[in-house]
Amino acid sequence: MITTSSKLFYGLGAVSVTAAIVWTIANDGGALGAVALVFIGIASIFLGAIASYVRDGHVLSTDTAQHDSAPAAQRGPGRSWFPLGTALSLGMVVVGLVTSPGIFKVGIALLLAMLGEWLIQNWSDRASADAGYNERVRGWVVHPLEIPIGGALLLGAIVLSFSRIFLALSAEAGPIVFAILGALVLFFGSVLSIRRGVSRGVVGALCGIVLVALSGVGIATALSGERQELTVASAEDHYAVHPCGEEAEEYDGSAGRAVSAKSSVAATVTLKDGVLYAEMDGFSGPLSSITLQRSLNADILFQNEDAGMHRMIVTYGKTVEDLGGGVKKETVLQTCTAMIGQGGAQQIVVRIPKPSFASDVPYTITASGIEGASIEVMVP
Amino acid sequence: MKKMMNQLGESMKTARRWQNASKAAIAVSALSFLASCAKDAPQDTWQPAGPNAERIDNLQRPVFYVAGIVGVIVFAAVAWVIFRYRDRGQAIPEQTHGKPALEIVLTVIPVLILLGVAIPTAGTIFKLAKTSDTEMTINVTGQQWWWEYDYPAAGSNAEQYGITAPIVTSGQLVIPENTKVLLRVTSRDVIHSYWIPKLNGKKDSVPGRVHLLRMEGSKPGIYAGQCTEFCGLSHAYMRMEAVVLSRADYDKWVANQLEPYKAPEAGTEAAAGEALFIQQCSRCHQVNGLANPDGSLIISAPDQYLVSGAAPNLTNLMTRNTFAGASWDLLTPECRDNVWNASSAYFGERYLDGVSADCLNQKDLREWLRNAPAKKPMYADPTKLTTTGGKYRGMPALGLTEDQINTIIAYLLERK
Ligand code: HEC
Ligand SMILES: [Cu+2]
Repeated sequence: MITTSSKLFYGLGAVSVTAAIVWTIANDGGALGAVALVFIGIASIFLGAIASYVRDGHVLSTDTAQHDSAPAAQRGPGRSWFPLGTALSLGMVVVGLVTSPGIFKVGIALLLAMLGEWLIQNWSDRASADAGYNERVRGWVVHPLEIPIGGALLLGAIVLSFSRIFLALSAEAGPIVFAILGALVLFFGSVLSIRRGVSRGVVGALCGIVLVALSGVGIATALSGERQELTVASAEDHYAVHPCGEEAEEYDGSAGRAVSAKSSVAATVTLKDGVLYAEMDGFSGPLSSITLQRSLNADILFQNEDAGMHRMIVTYGKTVEDLGGGVKKETVLQTCTAMIGQGGAQQIVVRIPKPSFASDVPYTITASGIEGASIEVMVP
Repeated sequence: MKKMMNQLGESMKTARRWQNASKAAIAVSALSFLASCAKDAPQDTWQPAGPNAERIDNLQRPVFYVAGIVGVIVFAAVAWVIFRYRDRGQAIPEQTHGKPALEIVLTVIPVLILLGVAIPTAGTIFKLAKTSDTEMTINVTGQQWWWEYDYPAAGSNAEQYGITAPIVTSGQLVIPENTKVLLRVTSRDVIHSYWIPKLNGKKDSVPGRVHLLRMEGSKPGIYAGQCTEFCGLSHAYMRMEAVVLSRADYDKWVANQLEPYKAPEAGTEAAAGEALFIQQCSRCHQVNGLANPDGSLIISAPDQYLVSGAAPNLTNLMTRNTFAGASWDLLTPECRDNVWNASSAYFGERYLDGVSADCLNQKDLREWLRNAPAKKPMYADPTKLTTTGGKYRGMPALGLTEDQINTIIAYLLERK
């Protein structure tokens, strides 16, 4: 006996098995997708069989009189806005097709979601004559998807708005605004939770207003762009490795504050009172000689504590290229930070391909504009 | 549904099934009991061989006993309830909800137990994270699928242990006994994890990060370990050992590692091997001091041929006694036994002998040189390197003849 709820599973099972066949043909025997689809099919048919066996859990199989009179056998009319949603997303797909692939993809996703919802709505409307029951049936099927996806979208909107706002605010104002907002949320949250009389509607409306305001400000700041330093930094391709000497205006004013930069670096090099020294986990005290592994991307953090702009320069030998006719081109191998002002820091990745004994002159770390400040780098 | 359950219950009740189930249960528990008392268990965390591992052991034993006792009580209670209140067709008893006194007691007891576990755990964590008492520092670098060790020539390494130039080895970490060694663990490619169970817990080796791990062995010997973070095809062949030597033996080991290169005598088989090594192997493998006939040093270029950018340094290959991710022995079984199972008084002396011609495990080393990827699965098929820009993961098959292998082995035997 094919009961109301088993129909869905049987249908899904049939579609999955058909899809598996199509997949296998289309992918020239590619098995992984087909295996997944067959498993979905088997699982669906199994669930369908259980639903049939227990008669959706409502009607005893022996009670034949119930087969027509039970609420589950009754039809109910339905009203739904999913056809409208489907039409709109179809429009979006068409618009996306001529404008941008992003809109097209979102349209496709919406279209699939609307069709799915419509299908399930249609099925649940017919589940029984009891509208309340039908609504619950629909909920059982779609809520496990609707609620998490809806929640994730909402959360995404909040996070995105927040990030746009804080990228536009100045680095100094950011923490202050964040602290004030946090305090406000805490305050109103506490008030609402203490005052028992406040109705659901009021709380909902309040959240709605905040959400609309937040996304409004988010959109506005997204359009107005990120703050000045960030725009400059990205225009200079600040995060890429530059050849030594190429000037850049921006450096990480506070790399030492970032957890990722501060912890677990291979070495920290500091310029202080005209002296350059290194610190490494596992060695006590300042070092004037460090050992770095060969062919390893080693993170080195440079901190400038002196007045004026200085850069750290890691020099590790040279390559000689034979240009023919006795002409040789020597290239000194160097990696540098940008020019760093007092109190600033920058982390760079150094990869030294040859051992230090391959070079006549020692490998070194030096600071631009400071005579005699040098750290020896040994590479085994 | 209820009917189905009842039916299930009925059939389960048949005596035969109970018998089968209990037989199976006895077999499983007997098996796991037997497995727990393996004699030859080189990676047994219950046999600590250094202060760090002892700290962990001192924590895990009491926790294990407490958890065991709680487990037995819970299982016994559950079994008793299942048996005592099984469905015999009696009426469903009166249903009650909530019993604050009982609930509070049942919350407070676990809280107290967990607190009792948490306090010493926190203490142990801090003790194991301490680095201020370090006496020696060694870099440990993981890559697919072997470990490299290098000893920086700085700080107390240079001042107290005579490491005046950096030392590089692979596979076997050599440390002096009763010395607080600090490993700086990192990786050249993917995440690995360093673990010598008898000496300390494990520490992930992560590219771009340096993680610190304390190591200390209380008596001379070899302590086995393996990579414990799945790292690709040959993860299972990424093993390592820590070798603990007495201070006097350790000094000898350092002095030997720092000795300058001795080229084979002209005209010998080893000299032919050296020439072949320069031709075939030194683009990946560094042998410190190896030079061209014109005297210029030969510098390997593993970064051009390998994804990780590194191949084991073979300068002193025959001072270690395992190879290729410590997965095979360089010693024949008898010679191995002689070193590995030596009492701590003799261990150091025998380890320092390295691998002699008589003791060399020809079979495995030859198989390796004949066709390395056939012995240890590696991405080393030159026709399939499109995704890595022509670079290998591991050592490729080099198509050497048996004669060539003879000369290479003669050359390698002198690398100690
Ligand atoms: C393309 C680079 C490459 C070439 C060429 C190469 N090897 Fe290797 N070799 C490796 C890599 C990588 C390993 C580490 C493999 C592992 O353990 O996973 C290795 C491991 C070894 C080991 C084990 C070392 C140890 O400490 O565990 C020996 C011995 C060895 N190679 C000998 C040779 C000899 C002899 C030649 C020349 C005939 C040679 N290799 C050529 C890349 C190379
Ligand atoms: Cu590994």
